[in-house]
Amino acid sequence: MRIPILKLHNYLLISIQTELDDQTAINFQEDLLREIHTTEATGVVIDLTSVEVIDSFIAKVLGDVVSMSDLMGAKVVLTGIQPAVAMTLIELGIHLQNVPTALDLEQGLLKLHQEMGE
Amino acid sequence: MNRDLRNIIIEHNDAIIQNWSKEINKLKEQNYTSDISDELYEHNNQEFVNVIIHSIKGTGSTKLVKDFSDRIIQLGWPLSYITDGLLVFRRVATNIILKQVDHVDSNTANEVLRNIDSLVEPIIRQLVNEYSVSWEHVVSLQRIALQELSAPLIPVMDNITIMPLIGTIDTERAKFIMENLLDGVMRHNAEVVLIDITGVPVVDTMVAHHLFQATEAVRLLGAKCILVGIRPEIAQTIVNLGINFSNLPTKSTLKKGFMLALEITNKSIVEMNNKSQTLDELLGKSTGSEEDHENTDLKTT
Repeated sequence: MRIPILKLHNYLLISIQTELDDQTAINFQEDLLREIHTTEATGVVIDLTSVEVIDSFIAKVLGDVVSMSDLMGAKVVLTGIQPAVAMTLIELGIHLQNVPTALDLEQGLLKLHQEMGE
Repeated sequence: MNRDLRNIIIEHNDAIIQNWSKEINKLKEQNYTSDISDELYEHNNQEFVNVIIHSIKGTGSTKLVKDFSDRIIQLGWPLSYITDGLLVFRRVATNIILKQVDHVDSNTANEVLRNIDSLVEPIIRQLVNEYSVSWEHVVSLQRIALQELSAPLIPVMDNITIMPLIGTIDTERAKFIMENLLDGVMRHNAEVVLIDITGVPVVDTMVAHHLFQATEAVRLLGAKCILVGIRPEIAQTIVNLGINFSNLPTKSTLKKGFMLALEITNKSIVEMNNKSQTLDELLGKSTGSEEDHENTDLKTT
């Protein structure tokens, strides 16, 4: 199961619409980094609106992806985290401290634009 | 023996009622019910003793007891009225029965006591049950009312939402607050949420922890939290307890927090007419209307 990665100008858009298992998450990480490399994207939005469960491993992968993309010069914003998901993450003690977030795709793109515009 | 006792009680019910009324009236003077009018008191006593006699006869259905207890509960009479009344009844009835028996030895006394108990006990049980059911009902209603008040969320502007918190925060409420907060952020599309803790009397490590968790969860959704309404004593306890709020913007008043929120959302408040202009207008036009010229308008920059 591969997660589609869409290119829009110099942004990459990813909407995760399946339940993430460990292997999918790792594949996704590799795919995304490769894609950033080939497209030379400067911004990435990962939309999690339809994700209902995030366990500690997935959370770690997502956090890693953010740091890795940062290293490659692409800013990442996570959008659309559901209230229930946020609550579980906090209860698990996963604070994703260095991960920028936004309410929805639109605001995520705005945020990226702001950060890179300056 | 049991039947005999019952018959004795029924035969002598006038005497029992008389003695009982005397005793219960004595109780009234020194007790809780002293502000109830004599008439009402008398009336209820009459009914109470009838209920007791009926249910001992076995003719009174449980409905009779229930109706009586419902009315007493509605009047707001204390439970101790019921228990005292039944205890007095037991004492009076025992006295009268023992008077009827010519020869009293410890065995008969024992048996009489036990039988009286078995007659009175079901009534006590039922009445106390009725009372506790009504109390539990009240408590559950209050809990619902409290929950409705416990975490209101007010969208004041596009993208700015306020949650005023009043009263102590326990774990259950904190959970409720978090749920409401996150749902509200999604629903109102909020960019900034102001949590006002002016009305929270104590902020200890647990409350701070809950607040912190809530704000972190809000951050994951993509909104910002500002903690406002931090009173001097709250600031002192927070520092003394060694709680670290450094990665959460805090302000002393809602007003200051709101200004910060406007700044974050790229908004500002612009006064349309300043005061001196308004004054000039008023002086220029002696017939000047008294309408408020000090309209403020919100502009997005």
